[in-house]
Amino acid sequence: MLLELKGIQKRFGGVVALRNGNLAVEAGEVHLLLGENGAGKSTMMKIVAGMQLADGGEILWKGRRVSFGKPADASGMGIAMVHQESLLAPHLTVAENIYLGREPRLPLGWVNRRKMLADARRLIEEQHFPLDAGWRVEKLSPAGKQLVEICRAIAHGSSLLIFDEPTSSLSGHETKEVFRIVKTLRERKMGVIYITHRLEELRTVGDRVTILRDGETIHSCGLHEISNERIIQHMVGRELGAMYRREPVTPGEELLRVEGLTRKPALENITLSVRAGEIVGMAGLIGAGRTELCRALFGLDEIDSGTVKLAGKPAVIHSPRGAVEGGIALIPEDRQQTGLATALPIGYNLTLADIGKVCRMGWLLDAAREKAIADEYIRKLRIKCESPRQLAGRLSGGNQQKVVIAKWLVRGAKVFLFDEPTRGIDVGAKVEVYEVMDELARGGAAILMVSSELPELLQVADRILVMRQGRLTGELPGRTTQEEIMTLATLHDGGALIGEKE
Amino acid sequence: MIQRLLPFITLFALFVGLSIASPDHFLTKTNLSSVVRQTAVINLMALGMTLVIVAGGIDLSVGAILAMGGLLGTMAMAKGNPIWLGVMIGILAGGVCGLANGLLTTQLKINPFIVTLGTLGIIRGVTLIISNGLPVHEIPQAFSYLGEGNLLGVPFVLWVLVACAVAVHIVLEHTRLGRYTFSIGSNEAAAFYAGIPVAFHTTAVYAICGALTGLGGMIEASRLMTGQPTAGQGYELQAIAAVVIGGGSLRGGEGSVVGTLIGALIMGLLANGSDLLGISPYVQQAIIGAVIILAVSFDELRKRKMTR
Repeated sequence: MLLELKGIQKRFGGVVALRNGNLAVEAGEVHLLLGENGAGKSTMMKIVAGMQLADGGEILWKGRRVSFGKPADASGMGIAMVHQESLLAPHLTVAENIYLGREPRLPLGWVNRRKMLADARRLIEEQHFPLDAGWRVEKLSPAGKQLVEICRAIAHGSSLLIFDEPTSSLSGHETKEVFRIVKTLRERKMGVIYITHRLEELRTVGDRVTILRDGETIHSCGLHEISNERIIQHMVGRELGAMYRREPVTPGEELLRVEGLTRKPALENITLSVRAGEIVGMAGLIGAGRTELCRALFGLDEIDSGTVKLAGKPAVIHSPRGAVEGGIALIPEDRQQTGLATALPIGYNLTLADIGKVCRMGWLLDAAREKAIADEYIRKLRIKCESPRQLAGRLSGGNQQKVVIAKWLVRGAKVFLFDEPTRGIDVGAKVEVYEVMDELARGGAAILMVSSELPELLQVADRILVMRQGRLTGELPGRTTQEEIMTLATLHDGGALIGEKE
Repeated sequence: MIQRLLPFITLFALFVGLSIASPDHFLTKTNLSSVVRQTAVINLMALGMTLVIVAGGIDLSVGAILAMGGLLGTMAMAKGNPIWLGVMIGILAGGVCGLANGLLTTQLKINPFIVTLGTLGIIRGVTLIISNGLPVHEIPQAFSYLGEGNLLGVPFVLWVLVACAVAVHIVLEHTRLGRYTFSIGSNEAAAFYAGIPVAFHTTAVYAICGALTGLGGMIEASRLMTGQPTAGQGYELQAIAAVVIGGGSLRGGEGSVVGTLIGALIMGLLANGSDLLGISPYVQQAIIGAVIILAVSFDELRKRKMTR
């Protein structure tokens, strides 16, 4: 066994990224690592590559227990990683990048540039890569950069190579090229871990498959033993969350109406409407334009054309400030970066969007009133915390999300844009977020909910809009099926996510 | 908890230490008054710097602003204007310089480190051009009261400082502007997403810092009884150090007026103690630099423990 991970755990503040990560990789095998966004794939591989330290569990490398404190420890053992975003030095040449940190030396520590260039040329030739060792890396395409990273791994004598979503930035032709390389690496008896979320790629490259869900290894087996349907089932899961099912309410007044909204190239002629009491789901592949729609509606991006009406009145929104004043709330997908001031107390976060509410004469803070409001919303949304003075960053993911939502309740927002509301949140806490959303809708809010987790959309949404390549491709009732959604999301698209069926 | 109290403990230890090391000279009214007078200018700048640093910014140009404020204020007096007007002009000049810093940072969206490094040069240059490099001497004698006078038995500057400290404390902890300052410094994107007018409030914070520095410039001019175009060189280091020693974080979102005052006093006592014990001012500079690094590394250590 080349690499074995047992019970790996990792937390980031209150968010659990990995609770029980297990993986076993043999030499000469291409091992697929699958899972939804936020399942913990990348975190697990960063731990293997020494970029992050595990909180618990053990790593066995060629049967020996190891611990990697820094990337150099892992690469010294022969583990290399090809990253989603290139980690090469763009201003250096291909050869310099391949031998970065291990340059062939001359006496007195001078770099032997001639030997380095010649070695790099030979290496590239052996692999039949369309590269020149003298090119500067910044001039290369994403695919070219990955080739350089692969060369680096081979030059360093690595015996395990990790590809993190290697094809997400590559064209179809380049993808085929990466597959060919992966196969040659297998022939060299190297172990390959290949992270992907695109099931269509599965059968072309893999030997074995390991599936992660919510930070836990759910299943591991030979690729020929399992169907794509089974894999999807393992990926999305049907536990806890499946118990929840929202009872729709009779929709009221139309609170949000969007007509012909266009922002090139991300959004094309989007028309939709959300009524009070409704939760409208928004499905689509990554890059379909769902987050861009939220950003445009919230005034973060200017629109080229189209109109937005809030409660029947035309609204022109150029900034988040304008959106907030119009009663729109955004619960962003990257909670910790844009939703929450993690180093500030919960109470500060709750009144962030409407400090005027707790100010006398508009500028002097009224501590008593602020505490009363904080207590009220902590109780209402059942936020588990010690006191409003606790730092928001110390809460669990689910409770952090509740603080973000509560901030908009304090403001009295009417139209809620939820972008991946349960990303990185524990399965149990997800249901609590659904319940809060349900209460919001019952209280007369209009909710647009973007989610990549189809089961979640089916549980929570009254109806589901599907986007593909910046356009709305259809509307489905809340009780539709994952297959129908995926058909609309991938139509004529070569089946980018779950297209290929057995 | 101990680390939070560290600045206070350090100050106390310094005080006790100096009382023992130099019993005849340290604990005298004259000496303590002179510590207050010496540190008042840095203290005022540090109060403004506290706001800027809590907002996640930094102002390297305060030393130059100090000179600009002091020069324009004294020039106004030299032209025959009343003292109060001269002081107001000094404060206003500082405020305008701060406003420029704020506008450049928020409108051009350039790192404040670079912006204020640039304005440091520009403001200092303009001050030298205006004055032709010559100090202003024709100042009414009564002006010396600002820096050297006593009110109710204690230095007048102490009253000024206390008033400003209370005001800045109230602004930071009890007003909308202060709350926004913390929010912007802690997570600017989240503040922007919450609909807070980030650019406006950031600019306001730089302007206040400038105005307080302008007042500091007038006090400096009063103590020297000249308007020096070269005044305040290197003061930015001390002002920033006071904030950081007092628990302010250069990453923003952290800092307090009480902490800053303690930080400034620690440096004041270090300087005074060195003088009393006959340590050269060259060594003092090095000590201040070392104290900054020490304070920040303690702070980092504390935060690392928290996140683990």
